Amino acid sequence: MTGRYLLRRLLDAVLTLFGVALVIFLVLRVIPGDEITARFGIEGGALTDAQIESLRSYYGLDQPLPVQFFSWLGSVLSGNFGVSVTSGNAVSELILSALPVTIELAILASIIGTALGVVLGVFSAARPNSVADTAAQGFGLLGLGIPNFVLAAAVVAVLSAQFGYFPSAAGYAPFFEAPLVNLQQQLYPALVLGIGLAAATMRTTRSAYLEEASRDYVRSAKGKGLAPRRVRWRHIMHNASIPIVTISGIQFGYLLGGTVIVEQIFALPGLGRLVLTGIEQREYAVVQSVIVVIAAMFVLVNLAVDLLYARIDPRVNLS
Amino acid sequence: MRVRRRSTVSGMLALALLGTACAPPTQDSDESADGGTVVIARSGDIDNLDPHLATAFQTIEALELVYDTLFELDPDLTVQPGLAESWEYSEDGLTLTMQLREDVIFHDGDTFDSADVKASIERILDEATGAVVRTNLLSIADVQTPDEQTVALDLSEADGTLPSAFTSVNTAIVSEAALEAGSVDTEPNGTGPFVFDDWRQGETLVLGANQDYWGDGPFVEGVEIRVVPEESSILAGMRAGQFQLGILGDPAVVDQVDDELTVERTAELGYFPLFLNSERAPLDNKQVRQAIACGIDRQQVIDAAAFGEGEPTGPLATPYDTGVFDGLPCDQTDPDLARQLLTDAGVGDGFSIETIVIQGENEAAINVAQSLQAQLAEIGVDLQLVPLETNVYVDRWLAADFDSALSANGSSVDPQITYAKYFTSTGNFQNVAKFTTPELDQLFADGKASTDQDERIEIYGEIARTLLDASPWVWLYSGFKYQVLQPELTDFVPTPTGSLKSLRQVHLGS
Amino acid sequence: MSQPIETIEGPAVAAAPLRRGQWLGRLWHNRNGRVGLLIMGLLALLALASALGLTPYSPIAQHPEDQLVGPSSTYWLGTDQFGRDIASRVCAGLLASLRVAVISVAIATILGAAGGIIAGYFGGWTDRIIGRLTDVLFAFPAILLALAIVAALGRGWFNTAIAIAVVYLPIFVRVARGPVLSVRSMDYIRAGKVLGYSPPRLIARHVLPNVAAPIIVQVALALSWAILTESGLSFLGLGTQPPEPSLGLMVSDARTLFDRAWWLLVFPSLAIVLAVTGLNLLGDGLRDVLDPTRSQSRGRRRRRR
Repeated sequence: MTGRYLLRRLLDAVLTLFGVALVIFLVLRVIPGDEITARFGIEGGALTDAQIESLRSYYGLDQPLPVQFFSWLGSVLSGNFGVSVTSGNAVSELILSALPVTIELAILASIIGTALGVVLGVFSAARPNSVADTAAQGFGLLGLGIPNFVLAAAVVAVLSAQFGYFPSAAGYAPFFEAPLVNLQQQLYPALVLGIGLAAATMRTTRSAYLEEASRDYVRSAKGKGLAPRRVRWRHIMHNASIPIVTISGIQFGYLLGGTVIVEQIFALPGLGRLVLTGIEQREYAVVQSVIVVIAAMFVLVNLAVDLLYARIDPRVNLS
Repeated sequence: MRVRRRSTVSGMLALALLGTACAPPTQDSDESADGGTVVIARSGDIDNLDPHLATAFQTIEALELVYDTLFELDPDLTVQPGLAESWEYSEDGLTLTMQLREDVIFHDGDTFDSADVKASIERILDEATGAVVRTNLLSIADVQTPDEQTVALDLSEADGTLPSAFTSVNTAIVSEAALEAGSVDTEPNGTGPFVFDDWRQGETLVLGANQDYWGDGPFVEGVEIRVVPEESSILAGMRAGQFQLGILGDPAVVDQVDDELTVERTAELGYFPLFLNSERAPLDNKQVRQAIACGIDRQQVIDAAAFGEGEPTGPLATPYDTGVFDGLPCDQTDPDLARQLLTDAGVGDGFSIETIVIQGENEAAINVAQSLQAQLAEIGVDLQLVPLETNVYVDRWLAADFDSALSANGSSVDPQITYAKYFTSTGNFQNVAKFTTPELDQLFADGKASTDQDERIEIYGEIARTLLDASPWVWLYSGFKYQVLQPELTDFVPTPTGSLKSLRQVHLGS
Repeated sequence: MSQPIETIEGPAVAAAPLRRGQWLGRLWHNRNGRVGLLIMGLLALLALASALGLTPYSPIAQHPEDQLVGPSSTYWLGTDQFGRDIASRVCAGLLASLRVAVISVAIATILGAAGGIIAGYFGGWTDRIIGRLTDVLFAFPAILLALAIVAALGRGWFNTAIAIAVVYLPIFVRVARGPVLSVRSMDYIRAGKVLGYSPPRLIARHVLPNVAAPIIVQVALALSWAILTESGLSFLGLGTQPPEPSLGLMVSDARTLFDRAWWLLVFPSLAIVLAVTGLNLLGDGLRDVLDPTRSQSRGRRRRRR
């Protein structure tokens, strides 16, 4: 059954991604201006019609839209994402250099968010309505209420105004070239993102814990005289882990496309920034490809979460 | 990494910060200290490697280090020899003959000669290239190369602007071989002081020293230009000693520069004008345009939009600026006169005009617009601001689809190049400026034909007076550009064009 | 904006049909709900004051002699570089944010719920096509989709509202579709069909009351996400355009001035945090009141970045 289920989900995914590709292609064509106006700005007025014509054919803008779409799609399927107009670099190279930045940021933020969220959640649920619980719930509310750009702006403002310090002042250091510098550069943005995640995870953990704690088996386990710590982690958290795993997985998926502002503020050359500058410069091939890549990762992560879900909870039937 | 603590901050943040501050210094700063590479930080990246197609300021700044031009500008903006050692106009002004420098070789080892000059100019003149400065070279009818060190330009009309036109890196001399190989846009190969080494888009551009450079220097091993999008991060990196030279544009950031760093301020060549559409009522009335000009306090615009960092400007830049404000209806702000002019024009009750404002990487424009809006409201003129994303703005600006418009405008040293395209009936931007008269046509024609500097200063002064009086635009101010230097970087000379070319003569350390 | 979108995952068991009036009272007796109502009431009053011109100054009036003045009795929350009153600007910014949020969520709710109900009620190909479209929108990175739409339509508050609505549309489709599926097979609907009642009538009389509860909860959460997104887009310079005040843009402009004028960063940030938190509390409260089985975030929830 699992095999057929997988096949169907993968087919669904392909259809969805086709839709994503089509939608982003069309949205980009509606944006006023093209590579030529983006590139020349006001100076474009100095170009003659003949100059503009030759530029249009150079960029392939003279082709009808369906031809542009399918020729792009065709080359994507053969692994060629096209070429950046401004730099002449292959889009696949741009993505390959930006992808690890965003994935690392997403992983670090997820680790911080999940660790902090689970600990705080258990901590507060184990003592319902205590001062600690109220404080933890307050953190949860605040964490969800502070937009990460506000937090990031505040962190940068304080760091640079008070300490004259900014982690990304030097060029970005890839993890495998300079791990220590890299972690310094990723730490603050990951913290900023992680706090928002922690708040959500904390709330989920707390309610899942409370739900499990009220069940009969917990009472009987306690009745048998098992140590509270053992009951807490072995029994309650084992069963409460399903919603927590789910939320962490889904958050990770969304994080891949949700880091744009934080990347911008902390000057991390990740996928989000690639899209943002791509839209500004009308880099059609770049934006289309990055969006499709992010969507593909998102779809895959969701599929993985569902499979994992089935592993943890035998009641879930994949078919 | 050096951390300066200015005040006590407790808690997790300080701990986390100290944790990272104790980390060993980065690989990069080691290199720059030992190897003598000048590390430069700025907020934008180059967008192109082809000097003839470069329009972004960052690209021009960088390619100037790799390519040479026939002429150069000194810090006072007077034209100096470049690859052309000497030059001479013929008696009738229809031939410009240049003697080229000897013993110049391209980075790939090819020898530079007149064939490269001919090939470069012809490429720029070819419409299919899409070169933006083509219009400045249109008087060139033919390029003759009598021998390897001589180039003679046959002109269709006398043109005194060519030497200054040839100072732009958009007229860089590329090698004939590279043109034939079609590698100009991928493998930069110039004769300049620095050699293209590596470019990682959005991150860094690495240039090595050209050991065979024809001039003195360079005295450093190379230049690395890092892209640091946030200007406050550039400052932070300067404080931490990670960069030798930081290029800033935001006065609020410059304000925080510490004493041990040097800040070089230079008024930019570019300027902010308020473009008025002289074909739309009530702006078709000269008195109304004058009233708007008189109602604006330029210093107040500078104070609010640029924290006081800028200079009020008229149409002309040095060395042509001779203070032509004198004797005009209002060389100072005069709201009473402004209201009087509006009443005389029959719109004393005020009116409303739409102002499109460019909204791009440069935030100053929208701030200027907001300041103007508040000031003009005092004389009954209601500016309705319509901020537009760069591409959209450019489309409407080129089509003159506005009552008034606000964006920074680029400028050239030579007023002919700056303004003839707007204010002559044959200029390719005359549709934007919508202001031409036979007198202006004649003045611009005279200015172009003249090769006598004093005579030209006289002519452009007359043009400036005409423009200020008719006020098709309101000239506001030129901002400052800032170059922040570490003390160990010596002999750097800033110029109003923002050129980094003096990096060829800088020393590091000691 | 980049905070997760919180939604209730369908197919939910249909909650009890809503009775008018009752739930508002119960909301007041719920701690979360009451605090949320109080915060949002206060913020709405401030926004209203701005709409009626009751703030101390006009939000765009410049006082060149009072640039970057700190909080004082003249300017309660200080002034910015143009000498504009921050208190008045924060109120106007709240108005702008709430306007975008309300309009975008209204569009998303109406279109999304309609889509969900149609998909759930008719099933078959209709359901499959609508489902496929929602899948596509869901797979988009939310903030990047909003960004691209704003770029395509042009900047400005109304286009921002449309972009947010498009991003949130699929969530309402799913929230509405779940309960409809379970109601559809109920006897009274079948009976109605047999009696020849028209689908619109059946939907209005019997389906709508059943999907109202989850939708109302979702509306509160959507409003909070819309405020995050609006301020985030404005922060990037893509949302509400100057000189109209906008909280996100105020935060963005304040960053480089933090050294000399902390109030520029603090007060607009506070306004955003209060608005988002207030709406989250309201959402929590509504969930407790309307959907007791899922109160306190029980069960599987779906989050979105």
